[in-house]
Amino acid sequence: NLILVRAAPDSISEKVEESIKNAEEACSGDPVSGECVAAWDEVEELSAAASHARDKKKGTDPLDAYCKDNPETDECRTYDT
Amino acid sequence: MAACTVYSTQSLKTNCFISTPSSKTHYGFHSKQIVLYSTSKRNKRVNNPYVITCAAGDTQTVVIGLAADSGCGKSTFMRRLTSVFGGTAEPPKGGNPDSNTLISDTTTVICLDDYHSLDRTGRKEKGVTALDPRANDFDLMYEQVKAIKDGVSVQKPIYNHVTGLLDPPELIKPPKILVIEGLHPMYDARVRDLLDFSIYLDISNEVKFAWKIQRDMAERGHSLESIKASIEARKPDFDAYIDPQKQYADAVIEVLPTELIPDDNEGKILRVRLIQKEGVKNFSPVYLFDDGSTISWIPCGRKLTCSYPGIKFAYGPDAYFGNEVSIVEMDGQFDRLDELIYVESHLSNLSSKFYGEVTQQMLKHADFPGSNNGTGLFQTIVGLKIRELYEQIVATRAETPVKAAKA
Repeated sequence: NLILVRAAPDSISEKVEESIKNAEEACSGDPVSGECVAAWDEVEELSAAASHARDKKKGTDPLDAYCKDNPETDECRTYDT
Repeated sequence: MAACTVYSTQSLKTNCFISTPSSKTHYGFHSKQIVLYSTSKRNKRVNNPYVITCAAGDTQTVVIGLAADSGCGKSTFMRRLTSVFGGTAEPPKGGNPDSNTLISDTTTVICLDDYHSLDRTGRKEKGVTALDPRANDFDLMYEQVKAIKDGVSVQKPIYNHVTGLLDPPELIKPPKILVIEGLHPMYDARVRDLLDFSIYLDISNEVKFAWKIQRDMAERGHSLESIKASIEARKPDFDAYIDPQKQYADAVIEVLPTELIPDDNEGKILRVRLIQKEGVKNFSPVYLFDDGSTISWIPCGRKLTCSYPGIKFAYGPDAYFGNEVSIVEMDGQFDRLDELIYVESHLSNLSSKFYGEVTQQMLKHADFPGSNNGTGLFQTIVGLKIRELYEQIVATRAETPVKAAKA
């Protein structure tokens, strides 16, 4: 029951993938070393950034985005009474 | 401070003054910072000789601290809080697109990651995490938060979460309410003393794991193992440096797995506890039915139909790290609006301005995570409490205008 959402912009996605590989490598020798812990911390930071980028992307309604640039068009005009 | 000119174009209550920073500057960088930034040419413009200060009326900035681990819903809380004050929070216009700051009419939210003293490469070289105090510059954090509280604008660094580098700084003007959110708002005693109110979001390990699966499983490269490994690796530092801050918080929102379903580990239904410190100035805790009693309440029955597994509330006095506290607890989730208004009508001391305000705020953001359970409810209530605290502080200052001296 996991919901699949659109992935974050490719550059961050790639970075996340790369950082996981690096972390797995860094931890293969010594699982409690500072190097290993710092590598997993980087994974967390990038995953959070990717998730924020995803949220930003999906939050916009196409009509809202259009109306921001074209407030004078028929489909966007609103009047306060 | 040398020059001090007042220009009042908008209203006489607005205090604006232009000052020339003296050698004892507390809004710029101390020497350690200059070394960090000297690689970039753009930073030479940092030393702006004039600082324009506009304190909002006779009031000082009210400072709120919010502590939580990354991926624990800080940003959702922030959006609920700024919505209580009206208007939406947006990144500073025309600045760095990766800025972590959010600005609305009344509130400015700054992310404490901007005070990292080591960037991503630096932490890797030293083998420390971002949770480690050694990766953070508490001196600069204290100086800048204090300056903003005193009505002085600062040039705050930007930690870029995408590149992992420290970017050129941005100008932060003193707002009515400053929220500092991040991993360490209550770690340093000097910063802690500047806070007018503090909140800690305490997510239990089970729920944290479930939330991170939801967040990361769609991401390339992640697996159950990698999510688990990341949580496990950060845990020693989290327990040593982040978790102990909750003893200082005026309000703690604790998120636990439900007790309504035996052995539930999906993390979808939550038991959320709002732990409120007693005796905090300008803050009076919310209660259920009768202040100070111990109560367990199941609202489902003749007047309210709930679907499985229902809703259960609890309220009572307790002790938390040696402090006297009042705890309101909600287990389960709402299916429909009438449930929420029914619950709201039985809670007292909500600091709302009209009947139904909590429900209305929750409805406004029905799409935010947590809007159907205790996380959204208690975050909204804390938002109303902060509004009341702000109004009380402003009112107290207005009574003694002469004492509100300028620094």
